[in-house]
Amino acid sequence: MSAATAAPPITPQGAGAAPHEKQGMSTKRKIGWSIFGVWLGGIVVFGVLFGVTAHKAPDVANSVFSPTNEFKLDTWFKIGPIAFNKGVLYLLLTVGITLGVMIYIAKRLQQRPGRLQVAVESFYDLTRRLSRENLDENLERKYFPLIATIFVFILVSNLIGYIPLPVNSGEDFKIFGAHIPSLQIYAADTNVAFPLILALGVFVLFTYEGVKHHGPIGYVKSLMPGGVKGPIVGLIYPIEILSNFLRLISLTVRLWANLLAGHLLIAFMGGELGVLVGLQVVSWALLPFGVLIFLFEAVLIAGLQAFIFAILTAIYIGGAVESH
Amino acid sequence: MLHALIAAAGEPIEYGKAAGRAIALGFGAGGGAAGAGAGIGAVFNASIQSKTRQPELRAEVERDQWLGFALTEATFFYGLVGGFIAFFL
Repeated sequence: MSAATAAPPITPQGAGAAPHEKQGMSTKRKIGWSIFGVWLGGIVVFGVLFGVTAHKAPDVANSVFSPTNEFKLDTWFKIGPIAFNKGVLYLLLTVGITLGVMIYIAKRLQQRPGRLQVAVESFYDLTRRLSRENLDENLERKYFPLIATIFVFILVSNLIGYIPLPVNSGEDFKIFGAHIPSLQIYAADTNVAFPLILALGVFVLFTYEGVKHHGPIGYVKSLMPGGVKGPIVGLIYPIEILSNFLRLISLTVRLWANLLAGHLLIAFMGGELGVLVGLQVVSWALLPFGVLIFLFEAVLIAGLQAFIFAILTAIYIGGAVESH
Repeated sequence: MLHALIAAAGEPIEYGKAAGRAIALGFGAGGGAAGAGAGIGAVFNASIQSKTRQPELRAEVERDQWLGFALTEATFFYGLVGGFIAFFL
């Protein structure tokens, strides 16, 4: 939008060259203005066609339809005690893609890397650097594979969450007589169980490393920051214990709520808000913001959350064996 | 007058509960957004200042800036999740 709303270029010829300004418009600016025009015109067209008074769909008015329905997990089938639903499907997809890409690249490393190998090598460099900075040599050798795996796993899981797949079994549509579930963007991270189990694993690991390094009593003592003396200890120590357990919650909620709120926002801006208030013009008017938020989430947040989870794993494990 | 209003409202307790939930969601999301907004502003403020003072440290500053951004941004979601829990449970 910024290119479209910027002031027109000032030509050096002065006032006499006014007719030439329009011809001098760059192609980018033309495209920007025409998209803006289509958007504005669309608002008018939708307003005229459907009116500006709300007429909600019957399901919405009876509150049968809820925005949270899209995150419900319907059991598709069961194998023994394992219920199979779309969250499990996404997890299996993530595992498959992660293993497949990594093994494929590892088996055919080349002197002159292709695009995929460059990407994988950049992940390697990034996770290698952050585990070197936060862990000592022995721990780094031991935990670098875990940190790199966590990074790639969460990254893949986040990214396939932005590809529409036919998994919404709540609603379906027909193609040539076959019932196909609606397309939906869903990510395994939007279910709290996924980040919780990762965070639990990290929590158990850094507690184990701390206990191994300090001994059980030494570890409990090492939670206290160094240099604190006197009666203030009684005040600070409970807070330190609490903050140790809050790491579990903050690791979980950071990943889970980022993805959940992101997917909700994309859905709302991409038309659901218009359905909820019963105004087609609202859906159309918010569509560009939906596209912007989708790009923001897919480009920045997906990678950032994977990076944060990996670096916090390294920091926590490194901090557990640190002596104050 | 007041009695007539309460009678017209039907189930005042139910309406009160619904109102409380809506307030909780609005307060959680709004307060979280306000706090996270101020925090993210502080993060980028510090980052821009240190980058203009010491451009040679740009790469390191930017890495820490994104770490700070993500940690600060998460506080918005703590408020939002608290609001959602109050709203839906």
